[in-house]
Amino acid sequence: METSRDDVGIAIRSAFLTKSTKQKFSLFALIILSIALLFTETIETKPLNFFRAFVKDAIYRGALVVSAPSKSINNFSGFIKEHLSLYDDYGKLKKENSELKNQISGKDFLELENNQLRRLIDEQISSSSNLLSARVMLDKQSPYLNSFIINIGSNKKIKNGMAVLDSKNFIGRIVDVNYFSSRVLLVSDLNSKIPIITEPSAHHAILSGHGKNKPTLEYLPENHNIKNGDKVYTSGREGIFSPGIPIGKVRIEDNVVKVLLFSDLSQITFVNINLENINKIE
Amino acid sequence: MAYVNKQIKFKFLELVPLLLLFYISLNGHSVIDLKYFSINVHYILVYYWVLRQPRMLGYGFIFMSGVISDVVFGLPLGVNALSLLIIAAVATYARVVTVRITLLSDWISFIPALLVANFIYFLSLYFSNYSVDYLFLFKNSIFTFIFYPILWSVFTLILNLTKS
Repeated sequence: METSRDDVGIAIRSAFLTKSTKQKFSLFALIILSIALLFTETIETKPLNFFRAFVKDAIYRGALVVSAPSKSINNFSGFIKEHLSLYDDYGKLKKENSELKNQISGKDFLELENNQLRRLIDEQISSSSNLLSARVMLDKQSPYLNSFIINIGSNKKIKNGMAVLDSKNFIGRIVDVNYFSSRVLLVSDLNSKIPIITEPSAHHAILSGHGKNKPTLEYLPENHNIKNGDKVYTSGREGIFSPGIPIGKVRIEDNVVKVLLFSDLSQITFVNINLENINKIE
Repeated sequence: MAYVNKQIKFKFLELVPLLLLFYISLNGHSVIDLKYFSINVHYILVYYWVLRQPRMLGYGFIFMSGVISDVVFGLPLGVNALSLLIIAAVATYARVVTVRITLLSDWISFIPALLVANFIYFLSLYFSNYSVDYLFLFKNSIFTFIFYPILWSVFTLILNLTKS
């Protein structure tokens, strides 16, 4: 049997343009709307930004409510696992405690020495009041993007590009700010490129995320002398992040310089946002 | 009373695909990512219901669910909505041109749906300057295709329950 071109045309018209039973919109109209939506993403105007922020805030709240049952189940299973591993944990903690007790005396001496030396050079110790704490609201790790949502936004003067820390370690930066929420792009994400400096080798490079795999150092000088265990800090070269925020330490695997992060990105509940360079970010 | 109960059950079962659609979008479970493979449940859900029972899953809802997924995953607004609508479009076309629907015919026509939707997904992200793991996307498409019959059976069970 031969299929004429008219039959295909009729089938396409019927599938795309006609509103079938109980359908309020035609597929074609919605496809055009989606494309228009994609184009408006590139337009930055105040009303559009406000609308986008409103929609995103509303969806985040909805997602928070919907994910509450699965979160409770996860918490419960975590609770059970913790109870089951209680005996092992006790043994480990006991061992760790004795090791720490041994280290304390050495640390006390170093602290004393450090204070004396600081007084000697009259250094002004910077305060940590430029950190703002936030809670992780949604942690929906997309297979494509490694990011999470925190519960503060432009209501607390958060801006795009600000450094996000777990305790004192760098874990990512703000990439999307709404009124009540913001998105943090983690250093492990494919889209994350952070200027860093290594220590003690003092090489500048770019820390590049690779999704599930460990981030790597790119654009290193050809004859670099980086070794396993070298520390990686933000270089502050881009002028947004403060220099010297610890990120991780180097591990060289198959001639690829990888970075083991100081923070476990899957275990983050609270974060600090560095407001130090707030005036530079506009 | 038995009639009312049956009506309530019938109405609830009719809403299952819609509830599932919004649940997976809001909960960020549209792509089930396991250790060795991942499946795009969103694509299978939309494809199956648009092909078999379009009145239970409106195009407007599919669009909204795509936008929600975009927001939850942090992608540019419209990327998922567009790829889901492409899946729906291929399913609608397959429904129009197919006389007898079987698992095999569904499964085979799911291949162009997946290919076109992922190509559109790739293009949208490319033009929005987003980097994604393309190997992951490829593996995801393969396993979504492989797992289609399993979800097909589950959805057919729900569909039969609404008819009984």
